Amino acid sequence: MAATRRLQKELGDIRNSGLKSFRDIQVDETNILTWQGLIVPDNPPYNKGAFKIEINFPAEYPFKPPKINFKTKIYHPNIDEKGQVCLPIISAENWKPATKTDQVIQALVALVNEPEPEHPLRADLAEEYLKDKKKFTKNAEEFTKKHSEKRPTD
Amino acid sequence: MENPRNVGSQVGESDMECSDNDNDCFDDDDYYNAVDDNDIEQIDPCKLDPENFNYQCLGEEQVERLLNESVEYLSYNLKITPSLAKVLLLSHQWRVNKIIEKYRKDASDLLITSRIKPPVTPPSLPVSRYITCPVCVIPQPSEKFFSLSCAHLFCKDCWVTHFEVQINQGISTAISCMARDCVVLAPEDFVLKHLSRPNLREKYQQFTFQDYVKSHPELRFCPGPNCPIVVHSSENKAKRAICSNCKTVFCFQCGMDYHAPTECSIIKKWLTKCADDSETANYISAHTKDCPECHICIEKNGGCNHMQCYNCKHDFCWMCLGDWKSHGSEYYECSRYRENPNIAHESVHAQAREALKKYLHYYERWENHSKSLKLEEQTLENLRSRINQKVMAGVGTWIDWQYLFTAASLLAKCRYTLQYTYPYAYYMDVGPRKELFEYQQAQLEAEIENLSWKIERAETTDRGDLENQMDIAEKRRTTLLKDFLDF
Repeated sequence: MAATRRLQKELGDIRNSGLKSFRDIQVDETNILTWQGLIVPDNPPYNKGAFKIEINFPAEYPFKPPKINFKTKIYHPNIDEKGQVCLPIISAENWKPATKTDQVIQALVALVNEPEPEHPLRADLAEEYLKDKKKFTKNAEEFTKKHSEKRPTD
Repeated sequence: MENPRNVGSQVGESDMECSDNDNDCFDDDDYYNAVDDNDIEQIDPCKLDPENFNYQCLGEEQVERLLNESVEYLSYNLKITPSLAKVLLLSHQWRVNKIIEKYRKDASDLLITSRIKPPVTPPSLPVSRYITCPVCVIPQPSEKFFSLSCAHLFCKDCWVTHFEVQINQGISTAISCMARDCVVLAPEDFVLKHLSRPNLREKYQQFTFQDYVKSHPELRFCPGPNCPIVVHSSENKAKRAICSNCKTVFCFQCGMDYHAPTECSIIKKWLTKCADDSETANYISAHTKDCPECHICIEKNGGCNHMQCYNCKHDFCWMCLGDWKSHGSEYYECSRYRENPNIAHESVHAQAREALKKYLHYYERWENHSKSLKLEEQTLENLRSRINQKVMAGVGTWIDWQYLFTAASLLAKCRYTLQYTYPYAYYMDVGPRKELFEYQQAQLEAEIENLSWKIERAETTDRGDLENQMDIAEKRRTTLLKDFLDF
């Protein structure tokens, strides 16, 4: 499979890069098309925790984009209750085969740190974010404390 | 382009056709010749017939030829490949002169905004003998690598797979470079150079053809199911086009059913509204009503709305159940909606009720004429068998009775227009123009019902009376269109 070679290379590069905001990458040896990892945001209100995500690569990768899912619940205007995320860089229209997974992850981390309420997946949260930022931050912080994963200590 | 004189009227009037040859039925030219009023020669055909529309029905090869004329002209003038000319034409709605003008002004800007050239000229990299493809990460000799004008190099295999995946998603002219954030488009020759599988090449060419036609302001695909015909007209207007192949009648501008005198945007609004409110309006679809005089149940099985009770012979109007005597052409008012003049001062509930009442008034009439059109198709069948009997009984020859089919075809045409006057009236502002419109609409409706009545009951080969009625009805129809068809 064409995807395998490219994914092995990308996985190696990401692991070697020592990225702080995405770590604990786990890949089943029999299936390199599914990755799991931990998103570690820097900005409040999400800097109180970490969030597990799953990246699913299609068999046609890199000619078709990967899909990303949050496995940890998160209070965020751009991520819905099912963990689906709207990320333009991996939408079918915008996808470019030369885009690398680490660029995708950086775009994802940037989105988590800086929500984009202009194109929300959860309209209620976007409205709260725009109209009552204080309340939003408080809710998100509580939600993070309650549901998120432990942050790595180093 | 050349010789477009009334191509539209050479085509029979869709579903009301009566025989198999093509010069039958009602024909605008014959019609005007028959009533002998084309003694004035140099007159704008649009003035005579507001529905006049010059267009041609083209097959795929003819369309290709037409497109290629533009491609070759541009390619010759700008000294660029036909393939790049196509990219420019597609992004400029095939306005050749506009492209040439832009090119003379600032060629580089034109090529960048048309996504032929990258915004920044790529640095010329020293090419080594072996390159690692950024997509498949396989190192290969440099001669296996290709790039667009943006100089982003990828190996041939990756280009091929990229094209295959895109084409299988229905994308053709919009395929771009594989590099991140690069917007440069892959022109046709570049794609075809890499595609070897014949079925994919075919698919690709089919998709690009569709994109070209859709981007061309003078071309429209016939909306008929699986119909390959493309209609060509230099006027992009909401006029009636009839497909020469599948006989679909449609509006050239929006591709929906023809809808004069209503505009494209209004008919779209109306149809959406009808679909949304269909439950409320459904009760109307009953085919039976009671005779207002003797209360016997009557089923409407013909198109004519002038009803005569089979029991008591009372003449009444199917629409309003009023006496038909009050429906003479001078004071026919059944089509007009009388708005409550004090509605602004009424409660919200009353206003909502009034709004629904108003909508239902127009919807009932719209729906009723649509039903009448269908019922009149049945009438045509009955007509056929009646004429057969007459001819067998020695009353006239088959030819003597032909005029009835011509009349039925004209009736369908008039009723069709009448049906589409209702959404027009619904969205009109109250005022003298609406008054005039509803006056003309009422006149048209009255004459149509008279015509329908006469056709259903024609017993002789004496055509004078009926032809007179046809003339009146068609005059009413064209008068209304002349005054209100303003697109």
